[in-house]
Amino acid sequence: MQVAGHLLFPWKQNPCTRGAPVGTVLLDVSVNDLNNIRQKAGGLIAMLPKDVSILSDEIKEQVLTLEKEMLTQSIPVPVYFAPYNPNLEHIINDITQNSAKNNAKNEDAFAHLLMSVSANGYHVTVDGQNGAVNKNSKIPIIQGELVPSQFALKHVDNAGESTTLPLILITTNLKTFGITNDYPLNADVAVVMSLVEIFSKLHSVISTSPKYRLAFLISDAGLLLNFQGSKKWLETDDNMSLQNVEFVLSLDTITQSLAQNQPNAFYMHVSKPPKEKTPISHFFKLLKTVTGRHSENATVEGIHKKINLAESKISWEHERFSMKRFPAFTLSSVKNPSSSLRTTIFKDNEARTVAQTLTTVKIIAETLACYIYKIDPMSDVFEGHVVINENNVLPYLGIKSVLQNNDIKDGFEKYLANVKITYDKPDARDPDFMFYNGIDPKLNVYRVKPAVFDLFLTLIVSLYLCSVYFAIQFFPRFYNFIAANTKELFCGQVGNTQNATFKRKNN
Amino acid sequence: MTLYHFGNCVALLMPYYFTYKYSGLSEYGAFWKCIQAGCIYIFTQLCKMLVLATFFYSDTSSGNGEFNFFAELLRCSVDVADLLGFALILSRIPGKGHSKLITAGLGWATAEVVLSRGIMLWVGARGTEFSWIYIQKCLESNVMLVQHLTTATLIWLFTRHDLSKALKPLVSVLLAVTIFKGVWLEGLLHILSIGPWAAIAVKALVASLIGFCSLHIYSGLAQQIGI
Repeated sequence: MQVAGHLLFPWKQNPCTRGAPVGTVLLDVSVNDLNNIRQKAGGLIAMLPKDVSILSDEIKEQVLTLEKEMLTQSIPVPVYFAPYNPNLEHIINDITQNSAKNNAKNEDAFAHLLMSVSANGYHVTVDGQNGAVNKNSKIPIIQGELVPSQFALKHVDNAGESTTLPLILITTNLKTFGITNDYPLNADVAVVMSLVEIFSKLHSVISTSPKYRLAFLISDAGLLLNFQGSKKWLETDDNMSLQNVEFVLSLDTITQSLAQNQPNAFYMHVSKPPKEKTPISHFFKLLKTVTGRHSENATVEGIHKKINLAESKISWEHERFSMKRFPAFTLSSVKNPSSSLRTTIFKDNEARTVAQTLTTVKIIAETLACYIYKIDPMSDVFEGHVVINENNVLPYLGIKSVLQNNDIKDGFEKYLANVKITYDKPDARDPDFMFYNGIDPKLNVYRVKPAVFDLFLTLIVSLYLCSVYFAIQFFPRFYNFIAANTKELFCGQVGNTQNATFKRKNN
Repeated sequence: MTLYHFGNCVALLMPYYFTYKYSGLSEYGAFWKCIQAGCIYIFTQLCKMLVLATFFYSDTSSGNGEFNFFAELLRCSVDVADLLGFALILSRIPGKGHSKLITAGLGWATAEVVLSRGIMLWVGARGTEFSWIYIQKCLESNVMLVQHLTTATLIWLFTRHDLSKALKPLVSVLLAVTIFKGVWLEGLLHILSIGPWAAIAVKALVASLIGFCSLHIYSGLAQQIGI
């Protein structure tokens, strides 16, 4: 595919040039500009900021809003995102300056002509094929469960089959894309994987083997794909019997990838307010106590939002489970389900992210442990050889999809039983979602000159050639002049100075 | 840019044609002689390449715009072969008077411009990216034409036995200056960090100065021997 166009001046000042792509730094685009671009520009090349963490909160907010807009609106023109690149920045600055000069009112016609001749244009080509529909689009769903060993069961309790034990399902989504094909921060998956690792230790010891089954479910894409993974899983689930479900705990944006100066808070999103004495309300109380103990300024708040069945897009993953009448809730650090933090690809300050994720893992693990062992929430379960530290979290922060490598699968198979991967493939006739092929295209920006510049250049070259022509015509006389001087100088014999010889000397 | 831009660049090489046309070479039918001179240029360059590749250490890491004095000096010392090439042209290709020198210089310069600039212009100047470098290279080629004509003259003067003894050292010095121009001139331009346009102007000035001196000596000798 080739997208060609000229960026003679930024389009922002002159939005009537239809068809010209716009190149800009992402930070400079406002939502209003985006609307203009959608309607009038030929394309958008946006350079992502170099370092998000140094931006001020307002600019972060603006970037997030813009990102959200880009994700929700359909944009008919191609939009290219470029990572920070000093050359591209230089080009964008150049365009911006040119336009600033162009917009200067007090200039005469000659200056304007000079400007149009000397103006730098940029010719943008993009190679790489157009995004074709991937016929093999699929999203993986991986499940696994921690079953107390039969041996332990017989010893502790004489209750028969393990399938009759109450089930706690922990689900989350692996975000695999945002506005670009880049993995956003996947702290939720890291938390789930850490929980898998931590609780498998407890399950392996007979004395701490709980009377609960813990099941884990990770599906790809999440909110941006309307939680298709859990939908498919709920529809086709056949091997993990969803009987006797105590509750479904869903994690969503448990760690914010962009620091905003807000107090740490957990929000427990439910579709209907939990009644007293239900497992969810019990868990909620435990969570409040544990959170208060583990971090001073963190709060836990319950948010109730009814499921809007009329709307095709759901807000939280637990709604998929609630619709099937499973007690379910979502733990998240964002309050508003439409928050752009849930889909952002921007990450800042890794140290803060790690610390926050670690705290979250501790809180959830302690709460879960208190819940399944029915112990006092004021005591620490994870101490000594099962202490939770950064090593539990760090390896999972950059985890990739099952389609890409086997990290999740290997982790599940190492710690869990009944691991199964199912794939959700869209229906051929009425697809719920669709992926497009397309490797990262290469953007080439060439400096070009307008056609009038070439005409101008031809004029100068002709002038030069004329002068050379006359210089050559003049050369015999020049030679004779030198020869005459030389004769005087050397007092030599009489030379044939009238000889019309030609030797070119000067061009 | 476009084919049109390529045309502009090629138009800048027109002085080569002017030289051929208006110096009377076309009347002598010296076209074939120019081709021969060009062939000798190619032969000389091949020999130079062989020597360079065989005996000289090539530092591939020095391509970062650094000016390496010793590498340049060594490279220029191989350029002495150019002088031998010129001498070969002058001795092998028959010609009369002025036209002999112009044949040698023009043939040499044309072969150089075609071989060393041709591909760059065809690929680069027609390419999408605009760069001043093609115009600059073409202008520089014009300077090189003057330079090569001068060198041919100097070599011819050097091989003459009837050149007065007083002028012999001057001719030798001018030859040395020409050959080692790559060292002293480029070094100077590098040290003074002169921009590409000014660099061409300086080169043109130097070429004109050397050319003027050689012309002066040449006209004296030409009158002596009556050509």
